[in-house]
Amino acid sequence: MYLDPSQEKLLRGEGGEASQFAMEVVTKVGDAVGAESLVPIKSAHVLAHYSSLHDAGIDVLERFASSGGKFAVPTSVDPASIDLQNWRSFGIPEEYARKQLRLCDAYAKLGGMRCWSCVQYQVCNFPKQGENVAWAESSAVVFANSVIGCRSNKITAGMDVACAVLGLTPKFGMLNDENRVARMSFKLGITAPSDLDYRSVGFFVGRNSGSRVPALQGLPPSVTSDEIKHLSAGAAAAGPVTMVHFPGITPGSRTLLDATGGQSVEEIEITRSDLAEIEADLNQTSELPDLVALGVPHLSVNELGLLAKMLEGRKLKNGVKMYAYTSSQAYDLAERTGIRSTIEASGARLTHSTDAEISPLKLLGFNVVMTNSAKLAEIVSSEGEIKIRYASQRQIVEEVTS
Amino acid sequence: MTNSALKGKGLIGGTASGSALLSLRAFTFAHGVNPATGEVTDVRSDIRGSNVRGRVLFYPFGKGSTTASTWFLETVRLGNHPAAIVTEAVDLSAVIGSVMARLIYGKAIPVISGISRGAYSKMENGADLVADADRGEVSVEG
Repeated sequence: MYLDPSQEKLLRGEGGEASQFAMEVVTKVGDAVGAESLVPIKSAHVLAHYSSLHDAGIDVLERFASSGGKFAVPTSVDPASIDLQNWRSFGIPEEYARKQLRLCDAYAKLGGMRCWSCVQYQVCNFPKQGENVAWAESSAVVFANSVIGCRSNKITAGMDVACAVLGLTPKFGMLNDENRVARMSFKLGITAPSDLDYRSVGFFVGRNSGSRVPALQGLPPSVTSDEIKHLSAGAAAAGPVTMVHFPGITPGSRTLLDATGGQSVEEIEITRSDLAEIEADLNQTSELPDLVALGVPHLSVNELGLLAKMLEGRKLKNGVKMYAYTSSQAYDLAERTGIRSTIEASGARLTHSTDAEISPLKLLGFNVVMTNSAKLAEIVSSEGEIKIRYASQRQIVEEVTS
Repeated sequence: MTNSALKGKGLIGGTASGSALLSLRAFTFAHGVNPATGEVTDVRSDIRGSNVRGRVLFYPFGKGSTTASTWFLETVRLGNHPAAIVTEAVDLSAVIGSVMARLIYGKAIPVISGISRGAYSKMENGADLVADADRGEVSVEG
């Protein structure tokens, strides 16, 4: 990979240890993927949750922070493994929390924005069309490429911080026009999709597109950005997909032919039975859950409002906990608008700055988790320790409340 | 035994020897290998129950979470890491994990890509191998 003279200096260590370390990472990646050069980025989004970074991840972040590293571009961060405000009341052991708090300290020292969310594009990190960014968090990368029209690869842990410190990323993959062309197309063959359907549709698209960029036609005009957020998360959880063209929504793709660059491509219809098959695959039990987890990715304040309406006047059954995961920003709004008190009157709890798939569910003693998140279902079931029930929010509320 | 060497491209240099551990399916350290033991736990893996520690680990491509790099690095921190990683397609989490392993823990774990599943599946699981990432090749020790 070509390095300009200033980048050569950084690699030699003339800009300090942190940027040298960062250059070691990005040049090895650039060479491995055959990138021509490094290009500037407008923002970064990094990972700093203990459940997946482990003690080794603490060593990495602390090394960057203690050797003088500072993020060169606005940088946001994925959720933590604990609710950063209320972790004690969720039963998180002190020792576990201390590990997460070390990651928080190192991240803060590097100068990151402290908005711990996997929907940074809804709360604190707002790129515009055409910009290059370096984001971790696969669901946000799909949303960024597909809805915002900025350009990001799915950035791996460790490389995320390196890119943020340098303000640079290797130019490869989704940063190159030729890799953003749709090579196949799906067509939604059902009407009035439910919350669960959007997630299953995403999962189907992710599972069946492989390394090709797909298009998805036939979303109803009423589709919301929240629904596309969950569709994107389902897609990214099921396969390597980093972009889905939604004709009429994706910048530059007014029609399918815009998305495919004028080529005709293979088209697959998504039927009700395809979605039923996904549901059957993700469902592992019919037991009553001990935890209902809503919000992987984080729910917006609008979604919290819908949940409050659904829960109003109802009570959770004995033995069932329900956590709604959100950003601290949406949590504050829910607090000020009475949404939180309505939700919590049912016995459910709102939790912020963390998310279910990266929190220590097993350590907290949960054995059966019910969710409408295909992403959570996929991650938890691959570990084989907790059983998953996958159902729509309405079905969940009807079953676990009275 | 260069006549039987499999040729690929070295991504992270160095030489290591160990016995072959062959997976023919997409592989991930994230939620898929227990860093405290080195055991493969992924319910969808064809080498579930095997241990990656000290092995020359082969898989065709990575999958899943972008945190696979730090899961891999945690095996290094605890001394339960593979001796070398060989893949068909480039797996960035192996590349990044190995760079960080050298910088933070001073451990060299060669990474080679471009050796196809078809080619390495002819080898014997457990065969003693040398992975030489400077030459981009894997050969039977002897």
